[in-house]
Amino acid sequence: MNLRLIDWIWHIRDSLVLAPGQSSKDAFDRLDPLFRQTGTSYQRTNDTLIFSKKNQAAQDKMSVFDGGELRIDERAGGSVLRYHLTSKTLLFCFLAAPLFLGIAQFTVVVSKFEKPPAQEEKKHAGMPMNPIDKALGAPEPDNSKKDHADEDKKLSPKAAYIFSGIFAVLYVVGRILEDRLLKAQFKKSLIVAE
Amino acid sequence: MHGIRVGKRMIGTQSPVTVGWENIPKVEGGPVKRFVFTWFQPAMLVAMIAFWYYAPNSIAKASTAVGIGIGFKVLLLGLEWVNPRYASWRLTWKELVTDLFYVGLGFTLLHMVSHFIGSDVMAKSIEHYFHQDDFLWFTGLPILLQAFLMAFIFDFGQYWMHRGMHNWYPLWLPHSVHHYITQLNINKGAVGNPVELFLIGLGIGGFFDFLPRAVLISGAFGLAIGTYQHINVRFNSPRWWRFLFNTTEHHSVHHSRDFEATRSNFAGSFIFIDRIFGTCIDGEAELLGMEGGRRMSIREQMTHPFTEAWKTLTERLPLEQRF
Repeated sequence: MNLRLIDWIWHIRDSLVLAPGQSSKDAFDRLDPLFRQTGTSYQRTNDTLIFSKKNQAAQDKMSVFDGGELRIDERAGGSVLRYHLTSKTLLFCFLAAPLFLGIAQFTVVVSKFEKPPAQEEKKHAGMPMNPIDKALGAPEPDNSKKDHADEDKKLSPKAAYIFSGIFAVLYVVGRILEDRLLKAQFKKSLIVAE
Repeated sequence: MHGIRVGKRMIGTQSPVTVGWENIPKVEGGPVKRFVFTWFQPAMLVAMIAFWYYAPNSIAKASTAVGIGIGFKVLLLGLEWVNPRYASWRLTWKELVTDLFYVGLGFTLLHMVSHFIGSDVMAKSIEHYFHQDDFLWFTGLPILLQAFLMAFIFDFGQYWMHRGMHNWYPLWLPHSVHHYITQLNINKGAVGNPVELFLIGLGIGGFFDFLPRAVLISGAFGLAIGTYQHINVRFNSPRWWRFLFNTTEHHSVHHSRDFEATRSNFAGSFIFIDRIFGTCIDGEAELLGMEGGRRMSIREQMTHPFTEAWKTLTERLPLEQRF
């Protein structure tokens, strides 16, 4: 299978047209502070910058990315910055959705091994009510009904389904947002063509 | 760094820690903002207690509490956005993904484990030894007192479990992962190695299911007090609140990069337990974490206690001597 068909999940590829006259050296100098971060190592040549990150700080502006390559193609009408970055966090978030679906299915299987609750109603001894609570108007204790606590405690796959949905939404948001934030950050650092 | 003497200890010799309430910044802004961020915490606590105290039996159940808990945390996320305590703790997409992964584990796998071998089993096992009539003295107390006692007993247990985690290496290993967080946000309490999260959640709260209203109110104490431990919001908490209850300021000291400071403020909700045992430090810190603030990946968070234990074991017992 061609990995390119699916690697958009955790790879971000894009480009920016730089202002006419901006050299690759000047462009990389301007981007330099973004790579002078804890846990980041990088190598620069004339037209290429390759970086990798490990245990990057939470507030690192590129913390989502673990590595990548930036290349500047110099052209007469304005150079082009092409970048290709990878993110384990995007992949993790993408996979978290099916993981929680799996947990939901696992819960369904495991819940079959649960002992069924006793059929008879749990009879509470008549629960006394303190005179202070009576005076303050608190509702009478529920002495006659079934024990609701047991119903609430039964294993249910509902939470896992909800989290699967949350991660699906988070992935879509992150894939779009982080792509845009990165581009905005590059634009802020560089002088780009209008 | 010189540090500041607190009792017999020197605090802040390895990393900056602000000691003393008078040195902590106040909420900045207009009178409305200052009013809201001064009285928000007490107002929410009173509102939650009043809700569970007067809620009809038909809605006074655990599923309602779960819904309220989620809604409250979403509200607090909004407050983090509006009035952050530190810009350097700003919630990012990546941090949110990490935090919610652990919250998700708590609601699913950890809940399942707890169901089969954790708190639920502990509660059931002691149920057989008691009859409800044995507890008539307790069930006859005012509901608010019942709820407070439940919350206090649980927090007292948590205090010692937490203190044990900081003083006994086998317990420190799983807990250490939680101390690698480098910023506080509302869901950071859920971040840690699953072994620790299982241990810290142990309790016999389920035993009191026959007192649903008191259990729900005691849960409200945890939600409306303990939740603020991990929050990036600047509050002007009233003096009495800070004296009685744990705050994000206290907990940031506990998470600071200064070793001595981390050995303080162990209680979950009731900081007066720390005051009783001499482990309370009033103050705050911005620089958090371990190893100079190295952020741990989720993979390492899962394996760290085991790899560290193996490392320690092989250092102390060289393989060639064992075979």
